[in-house]
Parts: sequence; structure tokens; C-alpha cells
Amino acid sequence: MNPEFIRTLHDLLPQIQGFIYPNEIEIHWGLLIVVYPYITGVVAGAFILASLVKVFNVREVQPLYRLSLLTALAYLLVAPMALVAHLGHPERFYEILLTPQTSSAMAMFGFVYAWYLMAVLLLEIWFVHRTDMIAWAEQEKGVMRFIHRTLALYSRDTGDRSVAFDHKALKVITIVGIPSAFLLHGYVGFIFGSIKANPWWSSVLIPIVFLFSAIVSGIALVILLYMVLTPLTGGKISMRCVDKAVDFLFYAVIVDFSLEFVDFIHRVYQSEEEIKILSEMVMSKLFASLVIIQVLLGMLVPLLLISLTKIFKRRFSLNEDLRKMVYFIAVILIQMGIFATRWNVVIGGQMFSKSFRGLTTYKMEFAGIEGLLFAILLLALPIIILAVLTKILPPWKEMHGEGVSEGVEVAGS
Amino acid sequence: MGKLFEKFPDPLARLIVVFLALLVVGVIVVVVLIPKPMKDVEIQWADAVKREQARPVKYAGFHACADCHDKLYETKKTGYHRDLSCETCHGPAKGHTENPEKVKPVIPAERTFCPQCHAYNPSRPRGFPQINPVAHNPLKACASCHNPHDPKPPTTPKECSACHGEIARMKAVSHHVQLECTTCHDAPQRHKISPRAVKPSKPQTREFCGKCHGKDAKEKLAKNAEEKLAKNAPKIDMAEHGEKYVCWQCHYPHSPEVEQ
Repeated sequence: MNPEFIRTLHDLLPQIQGFIYPNEIEIHWGLLIVVYPYITGVVAGAFILASLVKVFNVREVQPLYRLSLLTALAYLLVAPMALVAHLGHPERFYEILLTPQTSSAMAMFGFVYAWYLMAVLLLEIWFVHRTDMIAWAEQEKGVMRFIHRTLALYSRDTGDRSVAFDHKALKVITIVGIPSAFLLHGYVGFIFGSIKANPWWSSVLIPIVFLFSAIVSGIALVILLYMVLTPLTGGKISMRCVDKAVDFLFYAVIVDFSLEFVDFIHRVYQSEEEIKILSEMVMSKLFASLVIIQVLLGMLVPLLLISLTKIFKRRFSLNEDLRKMVYFIAVILIQMGIFATRWNVVIGGQMFSKSFRGLTTYKMEFAGIEGLLFAILLLALPIIILAVLTKILPPWKEMHGEGVSEGVEVAGS
Repeated sequence: MGKLFEKFPDPLARLIVVFLALLVVGVIVVVVLIPKPMKDVEIQWADAVKREQARPVKYAGFHACADCHDKLYETKKTGYHRDLSCETCHGPAKGHTENPEKVKPVIPAERTFCPQCHAYNPSRPRGFPQINPVAHNPLKACASCHNPHDPKPPTTPKECSACHGEIARMKAVSHHVQLECTTCHDAPQRHKISPRAVKPSKPQTREFCGKCHGKDAKEKLAKNAEEKLAKNAPKIDMAEHGEKYVCWQCHYPHSPEVEQ
């Protein structure tokens, strides 16, 4: 073997426990691949929340509608950055699109992504804001007027026929959007679930678990943003809206938890040859991130907190601030938990050896393209994009409850 | 054109224009800008196939060997190496089949060859014959004990050196070269089956070494070879020399350093 390579391996030896194959010393999918499913999950979840208003006609969460669409867009714009940066040659990303490989789930990402961005999200946001943009442009001057005019594609038609078409189109797009959102995130789980050689991933439940954790993280994030942004922009948090959204979050967490629990029981009951090394990994290397953060803090505690508000309904209904605080803590814990879920799947799946006899350790870089700093930047970027988007397409009126009745009509039409 | 668009609602008409523009740009990029080999999978495949076909054929396949080496072929067919092709060990033999006199295949004789498969590696399946090439019969070619065309299942080696190679090599250049291991060690039969559970004995008394190295050993009549050796061994006074210790606590018996 190459002496240089042996020296590199030697430095990595302290991270190994038991027997592992030489090519498993380095974990190839690092922090960026953890960030990627987290971000796409938020996109899918936020869109599902938006569809509650349009398709399922849940009037209470109308204030969250525009915010969740913009959140989905902001996160969707950042989603491929983690992947492309991880590949090491970001400047060559377009080659995936030039030589389409329909038999590769990974290569299909470009098409799923393009469909979701162009045919679903951008169209829906455009139809929602078209008449508003025309109205804004009429009152504005300078750059903002130009931006709104251009974004409205120089349309000035606010006649009944056009508005009616907007509403119809919105409904159709949202209905098409739900399977598209499922596809966008389901395919991430599909890739993990298809890797037969890795028993930590190879499960038909993985795409569905991914999907439900996506819905959980998306709803939780939009609630969090709503609770932070509304007071900052001078509005009052509508507890009716938050209560309803938390209700949906609660059910989604229960489904997500049950699915993961079923997956866990199934693995233990099957007890295939990998069970020993997996249980050792869970009890040693992943104990903090899986047992403590994902299950205990990320699921059980928020479930308990939300349950408390339901069990002691009378007491909590009298004290809005207490309820807000409980919800606030719960959604933050859920975010942490879902991030830990992604971490445990991506990193955990690479920590044990295919020899089933050893474990390795993931050592995170700080700087560098695979490092913590870059990951934090990627996680912060959607918030910055969202800030810009809310400047261009302000959702405040709806969030503050003004024009909601109109929105309800829209939803019901 | 304007009239055609009037049929559609205003937002739809505008979106159609945008999408048509995107479509036109996309088609131009795909049709005009991207070179053909880059998008034609068949061309990429054809290139790869051509490249592979252009490579010279080096292997003859194991059926070709059977024509001339029928006995070896028959032996191997039923042995443990039956799933290996002849060329796995002897290398590409296309040249040999074409010109048997001039081109001779390799016969791997060096000790590094067989351990490629048979050196100990915990990832190999249980029961697969594995040895430690450093300790296992050092200095001997593998083929001197094992017939490579029909290797037998592993049996316990008769010689101690098969496992204790380092000690054997050291003893071979020491003053104790002519002594059998069993002169000093009592090795029970079960040691060969469970080498770690049942261990050979070590001399426990000073008198054991004294049989040859004691002052009075000289007086004995040298009847057999061992006693002849004992006669010429360095002598010490067992009563005075290091009386508290067993001899091998100070002298390493496989390479005793004391000169006569």
C-alpha cells in the first residue's frame, strides 16, 4: 500500500473501535449532507402547512399561509447548495442537467427540484401575489415599483375574469403541489432506503419517516417564525391560529414518532446479523444525539408539553402567555430533534463497519467546505433570503389578521 | 398573435409567454450549445466498448490448460482450489498457449504469494484456512508442504517451528541447535489442538539444566548423542552459581550467551 496513505490511516486509528474495513475510516457524507435533508424537509413541511389553507380549507391558519410559502421558497433556494458544495466541484453542477440519467434517483433530483421550484412554488407565489403586486406598484416609486412591475410580468389586469382565474389556478397548483412536496422529500428518503448494503438505512419505512419528520419540522419552523416575526412587525399573535397549527403539529409528531417506533421495533424483532453492532452504536456513539436529543428532547418532551396544554385546557386557556411559552419551547425542541434525526440517519449510517465488528467516529471540521462554519452559514442563509423576500412580498397584513376574511373567501372559493 | 392571447385570461397569457421564452432558451441550449458527444449516451457507450475491445487479450481461460496439463487439471478439479482458475496463480497464459516452448507461465514460489489469500485477516470467513506468514514454517516455500493443486485441509503441524518460527530461527544459530524442543519442553498432544488452553511445560528446577551443565555431568559416561553433547557443555558449580534462581531466569535458553 502507499506509505502516505498508511500514515493518514495511522492518524485516524484512535477514532476506531473494533475491526472496520480500511475504506470506512473516513465518513464521506458529512455535515452538509445532514443539513440537506433538514432543509428540504422544512420546504416540504412548510408547503404542506400552506396547503392546509388552500386545499383543506383550515381557516384558522390563514395568517401562516403566505409566510409558509415564502419560507418554503427561501429554504428551497438553499437546498441544492449543500449538495453541490459537498460534491467538491460546484462549478460543474450543470452537467447533471446536461446528461440526464433517468435510472439514477440522485440524478433525478435536478428534475424533481426544477418541477417543484418552477411549476409549483414560484407559480403559487406568483398567483397569490399578482393582484397585490399590481396594487403595490401603483402606490410605489423607484426601484420597488420596477421590481413589483417586473415580478407581476407587467400585468395590470385586476378584472374579475383574471382574479377568478388566479383563484382557480391556485387551487390546482396546491393540489398538484402536495404530491410534489411528498416527492421532493420522499425521494431523499428513497435514496437512503435504497442502499441495500447499509442496514441502518435499508428500510421501506425510511421515505415515509423522512416525509413525516419533514412535515413536523416545516410546521414547527413556520410556527416559530410566526411567533417571532409577528411581535417584531407590530402585530398581535393570533392564538386561534397558533393553537390550530400546534394541533396539526401534535398529530404530525405522533405519526412521526409512531413510524420511527415501528421501525425500531421491527429492527429489534427481526434481529438480523447487524443488530448487535447497531445497538452498540446507539448505546455508545449515538446515545446523546439519538436517545437524548432526538427521542427525549425532540419528541417526548414536546409531546408532553403540548399534551399538558390539552389536558389542562381550562387553565391554559386562561393564560395565553403561558401557552405561548410552552408552544415556543416545544417548537424549538422539535427543530433540534429533527436536526438530530437527520444527523443520526446520515452520520449514524456511516459509523458502523460493513464487517459488523467495529465503529468509527465522525470528527467534524470547523472551517472548510464540509465544516461547521459553512453549515451554519447554509442554515442562516434561508433566514436572510426570507428577510429579502418579505421585503419584496410582505406577508405582514395577512399575518396580523388583516384581510383574513378575504383570504378565507379565497380559500373557500 | 395579440388576438390569440386575448382568449386566455391575462395572467395565463403572460405566464405562457414566460414559459415559451424559457422553453426556447432551453431548446437552444440543448440543441445548439451542448456538443453531441456530451449528451448522446450511445456515443459514450460505443467509445467505452471500443476502448475495451482494443485492449490485447492476455488470458486463455482454464479450459485451454486442460488440453496439455490434463493430470493437473483433474487433480485440481476435486481439490479445495477447484474454484480458482489456473491463471489466478500462474498469470495470463494466452502467450503460453500460442507458443508453449518459448513462453512459460509464472510458477509463484515466493512466500508472499499464498498469504495474499491465506494470511490472517479477521474479515475473512470463519473456517477459511488462515496462517501467520511470519511464524508459519518460515523460510520454507508453501509448496514444499502443500500441494497447490490439491491442498488438503489444515492439519496440526508436527514441527514446533510451524508455529514458533521465531524461536526456531533463534535456536538454529544458538549453542542449543542440536537439542530437540522436547528435550526441555513436555508438549502434551492436546497442545496441538488447543495451543492456548494447554501449554507445554517449562523446566522448573535448577537440577534440570544441571543435568548437562552441572560440574559432575562431565564424569558421566557419554553413551548417546545427548550425553555426548552434555559432556562438552559449559560447566558450573550448581551449589555456588546463582542458587536462588531457576537458570532460565538469567540465561535465555533458546540462545544461551555463555561461551565455553
